[in-house]
Amino acid sequence: MDALAKKHYAMVIQVAKCLGCQACTVACKFQNHVPEGQYRTKTPVVGPNGTYPNVRMYFEKEACQMCQVAPCVQVCPTTASHYNEDGVVLVDVDKCVGCKYCMTACPYDARFLNKETGTADKCTFCYETRVSKGEKPACVSTCVGGALMFGDVDDPQSDVSQFLAKHKTEVRKPEFGTRPSVYYVYEGVK
Amino acid sequence: MKRRHFLKGALYGTGGTLVALSGVGTAMGPLTPRRAAAAVQESENTVYSSCEMCRNQCPVAIHVNKGKVVKVEGNPHDPAMGGALCARGQAAPSLLYDPQRIKKPMIRTGQRGEGKFKEVSWEEAYKYIAENLKKVIEQNGGESVALASRKGPHDWFFRTIGKAIGTPNMFSHESTCPMTRAVAFHTTFGSEGIAADFGNAKYLISLNRNWFEGIHVPQTKAVMKMLNNGGKLVVLDPRFSVTAAKGEWLPVKPTTELAFVMAMAQIMISENLYDKAFVEHYTEGFDKWAESVQDKTPEWAEKETGIPKEKIIKVTREFAAAKPRAILDFGWRTALTSNDYQLRRAILIVNMMVGNFEVPGGLYQVKAAGVLKGFPDQAGYAKALGGVKQPGFPKPAKGRIDGTGVKGTPGQLIPAYDGAIGQLTESTLTGKPYPIKAWLVHRFNPVIGIPETEKTIAAIKKLDLIVTCDVYMTDTAYYSDVVLPECTYLERTEQVYDMSGLTPKYVLRQKAVDLVYPDTKPAWQIYKELGEKMGYGKYFPYKDINDFVSQQLTQAGLTVDVFKEKGLWTPPGMKPFYVRGTDPKAELALLATKSKKIDIFSDEVQEATGEGIPVYKQHPQPGEGQFRFVQGKVAVHTNDGTHNVPVLNELMPTNTLWINVASAKKLGIHDGDNIIVVAGKYEHKGQAKLTEGIRPDTVFCYHGFGRISPELKRAYGKGINDNKLISDDLGVVGNSVSSMTFVTLRKA
Repeated sequence: MDALAKKHYAMVIQVAKCLGCQACTVACKFQNHVPEGQYRTKTPVVGPNGTYPNVRMYFEKEACQMCQVAPCVQVCPTTASHYNEDGVVLVDVDKCVGCKYCMTACPYDARFLNKETGTADKCTFCYETRVSKGEKPACVSTCVGGALMFGDVDDPQSDVSQFLAKHKTEVRKPEFGTRPSVYYVYEGVK
Repeated sequence: MKRRHFLKGALYGTGGTLVALSGVGTAMGPLTPRRAAAAVQESENTVYSSCEMCRNQCPVAIHVNKGKVVKVEGNPHDPAMGGALCARGQAAPSLLYDPQRIKKPMIRTGQRGEGKFKEVSWEEAYKYIAENLKKVIEQNGGESVALASRKGPHDWFFRTIGKAIGTPNMFSHESTCPMTRAVAFHTTFGSEGIAADFGNAKYLISLNRNWFEGIHVPQTKAVMKMLNNGGKLVVLDPRFSVTAAKGEWLPVKPTTELAFVMAMAQIMISENLYDKAFVEHYTEGFDKWAESVQDKTPEWAEKETGIPKEKIIKVTREFAAAKPRAILDFGWRTALTSNDYQLRRAILIVNMMVGNFEVPGGLYQVKAAGVLKGFPDQAGYAKALGGVKQPGFPKPAKGRIDGTGVKGTPGQLIPAYDGAIGQLTESTLTGKPYPIKAWLVHRFNPVIGIPETEKTIAAIKKLDLIVTCDVYMTDTAYYSDVVLPECTYLERTEQVYDMSGLTPKYVLRQKAVDLVYPDTKPAWQIYKELGEKMGYGKYFPYKDINDFVSQQLTQAGLTVDVFKEKGLWTPPGMKPFYVRGTDPKAELALLATKSKKIDIFSDEVQEATGEGIPVYKQHPQPGEGQFRFVQGKVAVHTNDGTHNVPVLNELMPTNTLWINVASAKKLGIHDGDNIIVVAGKYEHKGQAKLTEGIRPDTVFCYHGFGRISPELKRAYGKGINDNKLISDDLGVVGNSVSSMTFVTLRKA
């Protein structure tokens, strides 16, 4: 990630508060005009695990993990995939040639070829449409369970910074060394 | 030209917004998503309204760009919504711009159910309905016309037709859903307007209530608030629902919930855990209740419910210790057993035993203007809405077919507004107590929405006339003679309605965009025009809906401006009002029972059914090889209303039958197998889903699938229609009975 980035936006997902209701899934589709059958985010169920009647179940929101060391940026031959001035990984559709290298490189399977534009597509944290205007991403605003937090982790006063200071969080697939900016909290479910 | 310049965002019916913007060669240059989105934001305006993807009518903010709805969010001005909205509400534009909506009035040309229609003008449709209704009324009397609708704001207009005809037979969908709860509220508190303050509770017990899949945004958020504040949730449900996953799951044997509730009372009495002062001060007939639960021990309840007695005792003690911020939830879809109303009554009694009425974190009476007037220090906040004054209607010549309102019978307890919809098919088929010859149906789909689909279809085939008004060619519309296309809620304004809770709250549904399909109309216009055609014009004394709204608001001293600005009105400066918030002995001036007390023993129930105190009844349990069949809601669909909405259909196009892994193994059924579900004379194909999250003696499916109208092109034929398998038995108070059907399974 660009060392000169002004901000470091991050999302915190409190898994225990997620209802799997897919409000975020649909909010994202309309906010970002995501084509039929394609999704920038989805929240599949994990479980139920265990044996009747001792079972557990939770939901795990999936989307771009906004890596600080992003394989998609590294492999992009046209620099379409890039970090913007606030450290958000974005795709410049004018530069994307649809080669799918990034899709192969992404350990989180977070990218797809938008069937309308033919270019790589993924979650943007709603950077252009909402965050740059001081709003939260569409998924965060609509979350019925209150499971999602969003903010600048470089600002020690932000809700996310204060939350991260007090809670144990995990990132997905840390072994890839991608340093995601999406943090999962499993308190109460694991 | 590069392919990316062909970007057409018009998905899920976002309605060609981007198509309009993306004309190649416009001055805008290449339309990248970034630029398109920026363009969308520039000219956006917001219309505050209320949702209708389900019946809860949540306040929403509709974002409109160049005359198109681009996005819908929860109304940020309503703290109960906080900008949040469920998946169904968010999917609004997908419904609005769906090319599969019905677009013109239609009259049937083939046999009923053959699906052959011709498009006609509204004029022709009204003429056809008026002439044929007149024939029915002349030959069989006004009472032979039945009206059925999903309860909602359209009823004022729709039912005016029924009242003018002089029929007593008007039905809501409520008897298939929360009606027994309403009966319990009314007979215990004297009012149906009872609610729960989940957000401030510390302990919450659900009996099959599923806030996290049957989503009502303010209530779902309130339960989450309780959990986030460290509250405890206990969920009795035969199925491991999402709600059960967020609390302690007790897989209760279905139909035995009343045993659990009675044992709670028995424990609280024997261990002296209940609020004696409250019970003595505010209630009537507690001694009779104490006597009736005396032998309802935890040991007995364990045998009935399958829940270990230690667990019943522990939960009861914890519940009592949290008093008065403890709630035993009264349920949402409460049409489970034949004597369901007794379960609901018992639940309310146990709540009163912890004295949770009119305090934070308990039950309360809705603080509508009429209620506030009884409290001098609150009366200033009461601004009662006016109503449109109608001339007197003719008195129906006969009583209702379902016995509603007949003193000294269970019909005395059935809410007059709702009736027992399950009786409608029976009376239509048998002609008893007298013939029903015509159905008028509005935004309701009895073919899928009430038990025993084939019986409903057989009844429809016997009718002289059936008219259905809806937004889709529903399964009932498909069997109708005349189909009227209503516009969606995004295209119409409706009257102000009262959504009061702990304060008064009025919400206005406001038209966000012009008609997408110009030959669709709102209910207020359809029934006014039909009424005028039938000579009932005097009963519709309003010019248009804006006139209707101003007749309501003028009397309240309010104007439409506040609704335009914020979408809702609550009295400025008023705090949530709990009558006993500061004084635990405060007078409950709102109680409307005859005794002016909370009726634990109800004279009215005694008179109607001989059971003034809830009585336990053992229901049959499944035998060898049988399963009990239960159903429920999923977060991305509403009853039978949304299964064809493109984006929601995409998220969940079909359902499965949940079977316990061990039970399925015995039958040689594997996950994903095609199976046949058999219930008596009815069979349904389906797909098996093996799970550890259900009782071994119970199977489950989500409701509203297995659609039979081929015009619902996405939903048609996918999954299991639960109501094909459930029989049309009526409970004591006319409720449908959804949890008493047994099924057997075999591989397809």
